[in-house]
Amino acid sequence: MTTTPPAPGDTAPPLDLPTLRGGRVALRDLRGRPVLVSFLRHAG
Amino acid sequence: MKVRQRWDRWDAIGAAAVFVVFDEPELLRRTMFDGVEVADLPFEVAVDQERGAYRAWGLRRARHRDIWLDPNVYRTYWRLLRAGDRLRPGGADLLQLGGDFVVDPGGSIAYARPQHRDDRPAVGELLAAAKRSRGPGER
Repeated sequence: MTTTPPAPGDTAPPLDLPTLRGGRVALRDLRGRPVLVSFLRHAG
Repeated sequence: MKVRQRWDRWDAIGAAAVFVVFDEPELLRRTMFDGVEVADLPFEVAVDQERGAYRAWGLRRARHRDIWLDPNVYRTYWRLLRAGDRLRPGGADLLQLGGDFVVDPGGSIAYARPQHRDDRPAVGELLAAAKRSRGPGER
């Protein structure tokens, strides 16, 4: 099954991942402010 | 990373940023941050080595010809070689594409730009979307 990317107006899919600093980041914890979510390609 | 160079403008509108990557952390430290320590970055870098979030957000994989005709691929390899790195068989998925999204304060998508090739929006476009997403009373 292919998921399509969310479009403006859709509820953002969940995001809850470990961070490079050693903690975790979850989109739900950033509610109340605009959030840029930027998925990057392979770095090298 | 252009967002970092203009971080003061993100900070001024009260926005947060999460960069999601799927590479090994050590490779990221060598290639992404121009020598800046991770602890000093003003935003979070989330690691998704299994790429579950990439799939959940519907991000595509490119075609081979899109990658090998992309001059940025060769620029990146050149930069790594100049830094003393060696080309080595990777295992990294060169075809995985990214994308940029702005999520509004209520948790809905305000802006979506999944990549189709090496296309990324300008930082100013993302900033404008983040400002608009705060609603008319807060621009």
